[in-house]
Amino acid sequence: MFQSLEWRNEKLSYLAVKICLAVDITLSLKAFRLFFNHEQIRTMSRVKRRTTHPPYWHVLKNNQRTDEKISSDNLRFVQEVIQDKYKNKSPIKGSDLDIEKTEWDPKTKRSGVIARNIGVQHMWEKDGKKVICTVLHVLDNHVIRYVPPEEYAKSVIGAKMFKNRKPLGCLVVGAEASNPERFTRQYCSLFDEVGLLPKKRLARFIVTPNAALPPCTPLTAGHFVIGQAVDVYGKTIDYGFQGVVKRWGFKGGPASHGTTKFHRRGGTIGTGRDKARVWPGQKMPGHMGSERRFNRGLKIVRINMKYNIIYVKGTVPGPTNSIVQIFDTALPRRKFTEAPPHPTYFPPEDGTLPQEDIWDSSLHVFGSPSISV
Amino acid sequence: MLRRAVLQTFRQGLAQSFFKRYAVSLTETTVTHQPIETSDEAGEKSVPTQKTGDESGNTVVVAPPEFRFIYPEFLPDPAMERRNRLREKLERMDMLQRRSVIEIPEFYTGSIMAVTVADANSPNKFARFVGICIQRGGSGLRAWFILRNVVDKQGVEILYEMYCPLIQKIEVLRLERRLDESLLYLRDALPEYSTFPMDMEPERRLNNSVVPINPLKVKLRPRPWLERWERQNLQGVEDLNLPQRFYDRAEKVAKPWEKYDLMLHYRKTIPAEEQEKIFAEVHSQLQQQELKRKLRRRRGSDNEY
Repeated sequence: MFQSLEWRNEKLSYLAVKICLAVDITLSLKAFRLFFNHEQIRTMSRVKRRTTHPPYWHVLKNNQRTDEKISSDNLRFVQEVIQDKYKNKSPIKGSDLDIEKTEWDPKTKRSGVIARNIGVQHMWEKDGKKVICTVLHVLDNHVIRYVPPEEYAKSVIGAKMFKNRKPLGCLVVGAEASNPERFTRQYCSLFDEVGLLPKKRLARFIVTPNAALPPCTPLTAGHFVIGQAVDVYGKTIDYGFQGVVKRWGFKGGPASHGTTKFHRRGGTIGTGRDKARVWPGQKMPGHMGSERRFNRGLKIVRINMKYNIIYVKGTVPGPTNSIVQIFDTALPRRKFTEAPPHPTYFPPEDGTLPQEDIWDSSLHVFGSPSISV
Repeated sequence: MLRRAVLQTFRQGLAQSFFKRYAVSLTETTVTHQPIETSDEAGEKSVPTQKTGDESGNTVVVAPPEFRFIYPEFLPDPAMERRNRLREKLERMDMLQRRSVIEIPEFYTGSIMAVTVADANSPNKFARFVGICIQRGGSGLRAWFILRNVVDKQGVEILYEMYCPLIQKIEVLRLERRLDESLLYLRDALPEYSTFPMDMEPERRLNNSVVPINPLKVKLRPRPWLERWERQNLQGVEDLNLPQRFYDRAEKVAKPWEKYDLMLHYRKTIPAEEQEKIFAEVHSQLQQQELKRKLRRRRGSDNEY
């Protein structure tokens, strides 16, 4: 049941990959607490769940320089140089890119998309039931490069992932173009081949070779289909150092009736008899949140092509205005039965504009008459 | 004229600092560069819109200042962690779409309203409830209001979501305001203050431009109460006649410094400049909808003859 790991995404830290490969689903789905495996809990407690530093093979990203005393003339010159280097590129049509006409098959893994969670909006279904929908703003995604399967299997993470399996390719996608002045030269050089403004955010998506995309391909909200299920990956809300009641849901002690200094404490942490020590993995106060999680099987109920917005039924890990990644779902019963826009969506050649606001059939469109039961 | 002068002096600091370059005398009413000035004139109902000229010659539409009282749900939740301009804009577009289908009239806490909702369990599939609005809140599509009435000696309160598509009709039977923003004390008041007939007819307003304030002072039942009303500085309640110890305790617990806390009030509200931008965005559509409804009403009344 935990064998299919093709959805594993590159952002996991190097240390966690080995163990997370086996037990990630147990952590992300609450229902799996039923199948409590003490061995797994003990091993997981030794794993470092959060890192504040990037992997060692990443280049330094943000400019370390403090305010340099540059004259305004020189500053203006620098900005002119930047503008000359990154002159506006015209929008790329599907016909301009040399994409091999590949067929979609049910085993294809398409690219994902980087988006920002911009908040939550309430909508109503056709029977009047209210649903909470997360609004995801698909940022200006561009493909930076494609790494073929043979080459990717030689990399550090690729080797681990495809140790006993057939290797897949890797697509590096960037989002949110910003001023090159805030980044280091090494980071900007990653985008030089493609001729794009350096992106604030990069992500890797594991794709099958038939879903490969050439560099500079834009990815938009049209990449997804109305009614499909998606998995959204993000870092959960950072709650900081939290006590045992909030972190693990302990009941604590009575609020009154003479209780002395025992309102939100954990209580006993072990027996005296067997083992006679505190077991590893004992639930205690500590850092809560800021962990990588997937919310799986979220249904897309509305797409706005004009603003590149996806409305997804349910909630998504992370606070408002945080970056998330959206993939086609890995849940086997909610995968595609028909071909989606493969390898990605391109606006039609004949210049006809796509429908601006596409709604799922289950939702009540706001401009339509009131529901009468 | 006096009102305009008072408002002008009050806003002079803002106006001077932001629109120094565009100072124009008040006599020129057609083209002025001070949106605040024109919105004063626009505040008078006879001139609903004023198109002001920008330096570059582009017209800038400004909404009348009453909009933030008539349509408070268009303003987003001030909590900065959850704000996003794009999402708020999309939400406003959806709100306008819904408003094009159903008329959500101007109402305040203290107004008596009737709401018709589609209900599968009702005999004729629609349920109509009449009540006084005791509280309203929420922003965007989550905006809600609570109606209270006493039915068969049982107090009933219903919370309605303003943009829910199950709502067929919202009527304001009596448009008025009370001395308080929240009338939750009606739960502890004598039942006659919350009782309204279910077949109440809409009342015609004598003065269309000003919403009357009902200075009614409500009599509360004897204690125990649901809340400590003596600590809440209520205007619309008669003298509570409590022992002095209640008032002493209320003084000890009170936070009189809060009214001087500028940052607290700043964080609870949307800045005036942003409010103007928001209402300018939705203003023209709301106006169009209002005009269409007026025409329909007039045509409807003509057809009666």
